[in-house]
Amino acid sequence: MSKPIIVLEDVSKSYGAVPVLRGCSTAVSRGEVVVVCGPSGSGKSTLLQCINGLEPYQSGSILVEGVEVGAKKTDLPRLRTRIGMVFQHFELYPHMTALENVVLAQVHALRRSRKEAEARGRRLLDRVGLASKADTRPGKLSGGQQQRIAIARALALDPQAMLLDEPTSALDPEMITEVLDVLIELADEGMTMMVVTHEMGFARRVADRVIFMDQGEIIEDSPTKTFFSAPVSQRAKLFLSKILSH
Amino acid sequence: MPDVISQNMPFLLQGLVTTLRIAALTAIGGTLLGLAVGVAVQLRLPFVAGLLRVYIEFVRGTPLLVMLFICYFALPALMGLHVTAEQATVLGFVLFIAAYIAEDVRSGLRSIGSGLVRAALATGLTRLQSLRLIIVPLALRRIIPALFNQYVRLLKFTSVASVIGVQEFTGSAMLVNARVFAPVSILIFVALTYLVLCLLLSSVGRVLHAYLAA
Repeated sequence: MSKPIIVLEDVSKSYGAVPVLRGCSTAVSRGEVVVVCGPSGSGKSTLLQCINGLEPYQSGSILVEGVEVGAKKTDLPRLRTRIGMVFQHFELYPHMTALENVVLAQVHALRRSRKEAEARGRRLLDRVGLASKADTRPGKLSGGQQQRIAIARALALDPQAMLLDEPTSALDPEMITEVLDVLIELADEGMTMMVVTHEMGFARRVADRVIFMDQGEIIEDSPTKTFFSAPVSQRAKLFLSKILSH
Repeated sequence: MPDVISQNMPFLLQGLVTTLRIAALTAIGGTLLGLAVGVAVQLRLPFVAGLLRVYIEFVRGTPLLVMLFICYFALPALMGLHVTAEQATVLGFVLFIAAYIAEDVRSGLRSIGSGLVRAALATGLTRLQSLRLIIVPLALRRIIPALFNQYVRLLKFTSVASVIGVQEFTGSAMLVNARVFAPVSILIFVALTYLVLCLLLSSVGRVLHAYLAA
């Protein structure tokens, strides 16, 4: 593994008196796939959103490609084009076609020509298996299709890393696989990814490391094998026994 | 069609053209101003937002006719410039309807979930870009029915302009009536014309909404 793309050091955040992140530290190297899991409300999503500056944090430091996310002079829009993000509820622009969704930021954030952006957009839609839906609006597509378009939208910026916030949690069971397949392919191609998910089968298959969070703290940060075979903390053991029991 | 109507048709049509001109100008001006005011208030632009709230409340608590009088008599007196009755009408109506449209725009903007804004920002768009490219176009699509409701109100309001001497449709009809005295046929004709125009306008709104709704 080469040098880290994302480095978190002692990051803390609170909403008023309620702490949501407590002293979180970790690093993600180029090409690494890190799965983040833990009970709901443990701060997983917040952690992800802090990394691309969608959520501010009060102390500690987050470096993305060596740039401090929280610094006042940081060009956040530029930094965000370097990191693709995928959300639980897709968040596609409902008034635009699939292709327009994938083209928009290429044209307005990266200043690519429309022609170039559309060509790239069509290639990516094809890659996620939705070339035929280029002119369809998100409202007419299934959840799995929408999420694959959201992944294409993120990939369109040629990001150096991807943050995925529960990408399959809002999907019907039969659509989970089609989205996970795309993510597995991405992982195999060497994309750096941080994925918040409860899909432990996916974690076993593609993750290099698993981070377990509880109550805003990173309780465990271990290689995947170790995490599943011999979790160190009692809380991680309990969590695993709960979600793997059926 | 009664003779009083057909004999005076050219004159009445001239009034109708004036009505439509005032309505169209006001709809365009009111929508642009209302959009700007609504966005500024919703974004809580420092200082400006407070002032604009005062403007909205002032308009919503003032009769349309008073607004018209302000624009026709008070503003020229204060500024020392000459305005025609029609210019004053357009100005007054724009200021009037924009306050209501601003409130519609605000509710449209509020209806856009924060998730979409985050998604737009996450792709590297600036706040201004996400507002211009996603949030405002989406909000406008959602409030098309409310907007057309305002346009319908506006079309009917234009008749008030006859009070300051604008020869719009109602004013022209009443001039004809003063000459020939046939209030029943003239007013039925006037009312039906407004009705047809308003129904047309509403259905345009419905079609547009159905076409653009996402």
